[in-house]
Amino acid sequence: MTTMDLHVSPLGQVEGDLDVKVTITDGVVTNAWTEAAMFRGFEIILRGKDPQAGLIMTPRICGICGGSHLYKACYALDTAWGTYVPKNATLVRNLGQITETLQSVPRYFYAIMGPDLTAAQYAGAPSYEEAARRFAPYVGTSYQKGVTLSQLPVEVYAIFGGQWPHSSFMIPGGVMCAPTLSDITRSHAILDHWAREWLEGLWLGCSVDRYLEIKTWDDFTAWMDENESQHNSDLAFFTRYAQEIGLDKYGEGYGNFLATGTFLDPELYQNPTVEGRNAALQSRSGIYANGQYFDFDQMRVSEDITHSFFRGTGSRHPWEGVTDPIDPADGAAQDKYTWAKAPRYDVPGMGYVPLEVGSLARQIMANRPDAAPHQDSDPFVADMISKMGVNVLTRVLARVHEEAKYFKLAKKWLTEIDLHGDFYVKPEEKQSGKGFGSTEAARGALSDWIVIEDGKIANYQVITPTAWNIGPRDGDENHGPMEKAFIGTPVENPDFPVELAQVAHSYDSCLVCTVHAYDGKTGRELAKYRMGGG
Amino acid sequence: MLTPPPTDTVIVGCGNLLRGDDAAGPILVRVLAERELPPGVRLIDGGTAGMDVAFAMRGARRVIVVDASNIGVEAGTIHRVPGEELTDLTPPEGNLHRFRWDQALGFAQWLLKDEYPQDVTVWLVEGESFEPGDVLSDAVQASVERIADEIAADVLADHGGDLGER
Repeated sequence: MTTMDLHVSPLGQVEGDLDVKVTITDGVVTNAWTEAAMFRGFEIILRGKDPQAGLIMTPRICGICGGSHLYKACYALDTAWGTYVPKNATLVRNLGQITETLQSVPRYFYAIMGPDLTAAQYAGAPSYEEAARRFAPYVGTSYQKGVTLSQLPVEVYAIFGGQWPHSSFMIPGGVMCAPTLSDITRSHAILDHWAREWLEGLWLGCSVDRYLEIKTWDDFTAWMDENESQHNSDLAFFTRYAQEIGLDKYGEGYGNFLATGTFLDPELYQNPTVEGRNAALQSRSGIYANGQYFDFDQMRVSEDITHSFFRGTGSRHPWEGVTDPIDPADGAAQDKYTWAKAPRYDVPGMGYVPLEVGSLARQIMANRPDAAPHQDSDPFVADMISKMGVNVLTRVLARVHEEAKYFKLAKKWLTEIDLHGDFYVKPEEKQSGKGFGSTEAARGALSDWIVIEDGKIANYQVITPTAWNIGPRDGDENHGPMEKAFIGTPVENPDFPVELAQVAHSYDSCLVCTVHAYDGKTGRELAKYRMGGG
Repeated sequence: MLTPPPTDTVIVGCGNLLRGDDAAGPILVRVLAERELPPGVRLIDGGTAGMDVAFAMRGARRVIVVDASNIGVEAGTIHRVPGEELTDLTPPEGNLHRFRWDQALGFAQWLLKDEYPQDVTVWLVEGESFEPGDVLSDAVQASVERIADEIAADVLADHGGDLGER
């Protein structure tokens, strides 16, 4: 039996680096530890500040999904203050969230997946040359077009938000903008151009409406070969090629999921409350665990710090959350190994369990029975999982599936804005209260919990999708979701463990790492492999 | 319809507002926003979205990038790097959370091809602390004011001293 350790270590720069340690036995990963190498003290910065500081600060946590941070930070205050949010404002906030995701996905696919797909070790695959022709970084035909056009959706964000990234135009009680008819017309034109050139022209090879007729995996495979244009689309090609290189064979994880949902319905969420949120969501919240659906209840969320570089052990609800960092050297002596906390959810009958977040989770919730008329109801991804299982390929297909759906939604919302209506109603700034705001960033559930006392922030906790997915073991020694997904992954060539990059990238987490492969016996470094972050 | 309005000069401040002196670029953009600048000058808070800095350069004749540095010299030290030093950059690998200014320029050369701005200047100011939650250090604050003065004078001279119609 051959055992070796693979050590994935950071290049040491700003914005969240990740170490992954992986034990490999007979060519298969048998254990994994994800180690976030940087302390991000946003909760400490926010304590004692004006309640609205979260609107300015949390969008700066990330240069990729600042609009998503703004969306949930705003709802945390809306619920804490009990604001009135006009329908127009909800539509514009939703447009901000959705255009950011529309931009993020093609960039993710070409810039993050592209280099993995064209890795030299796949050179023997029958379609490798075609994959390189399309997806090779910078020179691939699809890479060039997909990345170059990816800017268009956030141009729509900037029309409403003034700028992208890092806008703070969503505020409690509404949004700070007054769009004109020409803003709406221009937004339609930009999205149509993007869809014509990339989404329909290159990615689907057919109209969005034709693509969205797909309801099952069999429908999808039939769609792939329906005509030459669809057969040659990037989506159909990627799906065939991914199976040639085995992306349908590993990266499973727990198969348990959480979505906090997003896209509030303008009619149903004019008076935002924590209790009324689930029913007002268009993209539904929920938990899917051990084959059963459960309603999402934010009171059942906790963060466990047993293996994180914070004082103490055990878990707390974010309203009671404490961010009390300790020296990592002292932490290591207490079996702590990361700056990430371990978010967990108390599933009825199962206790606190790790749950995967992201597009796959959202699309599994879309298959839950009894959707209200305003809610997303779509069986495709759940059917695909029942036939193909959870793996790198299906996790990516769930993500790209949303592009077509989101394009339709964005176009619909643009037509629903009433240019003569209100976009903001000044709220009363309460001196105390608790709030919860959440959304689905491109990468998954993103939530803020705020406690206001004496007109100041008494506590502020952010749980990012990356924390849900890459968080460490908990007090019960359950692996984090991505740790679990590494286990069982075959590594053909330890000098170049592209499979580990594929698993990490299938989550599109916001972290950057370099794989260092070490021989377990001698400790000698065998190779370096850098994995770009989302 | 899909092209942005014509911009002659783009001034981009890069960095994270939450990380001490890394905020130098975005704060400089705010300082310049209070100054009188010629028409056709566009200020951009690039934040930490590196790839988007490249998109923002499209159509500009001239680009000025301001960022914090951490190279181990005295805090507040200013470097002005001319464009010709930056003509042979290898574009970075796919890595969207971690574009530095030089990678953004390399990406912009690839992205914009013939439309890459003729004139690119980079100002760097050495930071003292990059701790989350810190405010700008005194040395960097003073240097930001100085760079703002120089850039304002520079773009005004570049436009023949004409502030145009306000």
